[in-house]
Amino acid sequence: MATFSLLVTANPYSSQGQFSAIQFAKTLLEQGHQLMRVFFYADGVLVASRLHAPPADEINLTKAWAKLAIEKDIELVACVTAANKRGIVNAAEAERNALTGDNLDPAFAISGLGQLTEAMLESDRLITFG
Amino acid sequence: MNKSICIVFNKAPYGSQSGRELLDIALMAAAFDMPITAIFIDQGVYQLLKGQEPDILHIKNHSATFKALPLYGIEEVYVEQQAMQQFKLDIHQLLEIDGLQQATTDGIRAKIAQSDFVLTL
Amino acid sequence: MKTLYIINQPQKSEEAQPYFAEHDGIVLIEDAVVLATRETKQPHGLKQYVLEEDLIARGLHKKVASDWEVVNYPQFVELTLQYDKSVSWL
Repeated sequence: MATFSLLVTANPYSSQGQFSAIQFAKTLLEQGHQLMRVFFYADGVLVASRLHAPPADEINLTKAWAKLAIEKDIELVACVTAANKRGIVNAAEAERNALTGDNLDPAFAISGLGQLTEAMLESDRLITFG
Repeated sequence: MNKSICIVFNKAPYGSQSGRELLDIALMAAAFDMPITAIFIDQGVYQLLKGQEPDILHIKNHSATFKALPLYGIEEVYVEQQAMQQFKLDIHQLLEIDGLQQATTDGIRAKIAQSDFVLTL
Repeated sequence: MKTLYIINQPQKSEEAQPYFAEHDGIVLIEDAVVLATRETKQPHGLKQYVLEEDLIARGLHKKVASDWEVVNYPQFVELTLQYDKSVSWL
């Protein structure tokens, strides 16, 4: 069995990339492979907001990732630089930047690009969805 | 031996942040001692053009950082000959990066084939 | 090393083509699956795959040209392991 990590840069809802990434993640887990980490970068970080409110008959991508993370114990990590500049902040960053609120979904962590490099070094495959 | 990574710049700067975001990945991977090859193909060669002034657009100029690649230990930097010809550029119009080499498409294909990871954005 | 090129936009196939090497493969996903509706001979006898779910979503699963092999998600995952690495040509 192999260890995968994913790099997701696709804008949620604007393009198909996040849907593809979730499907790929679910499939590899069903096949018994490991998913070490999903790293969100560029516009991909937008999915880490807990404030998305898609229509009731459409998938909530944030919740879909969160479900996968909780059930299968997978790390969801958003790049701090990419996230903060796009308005995705956790409580500590909100305070540091004197913002009125935080919006990071609790299933996600915010960290540096080193987490992507580490994922490459420790996984057999890195698959990008942009 | 650490796994190697090949970073492929294939888009012109500023219309998207792809170049800057790839550059940040390259610098971080260098900090982890991954052997890195940076490749500029297609419109990505415009990332290396001298005289960029994105300040006029209030966009941060990341091009100076390309000159610092060797300082970060990234010494394999290739620009595609065919793209240079296509856009009528010569090497003197590009940033002075120590060790910057022109490579043929065949050469670049080989670099991609040799690397453990290949990234575009 | 064998590379699997993941292509998700139709125009990216042509952009990536100069870098395809012998024994490489290409898999079309998302909007790029439209390319599989026509005969395409890649250089070097490259293996050509197209993602079934993305074809079905677009009503194209009965329109695939004979030189493209249809793979589903489980087969797509296996392909990424059969090749030494995958590159998403964005």
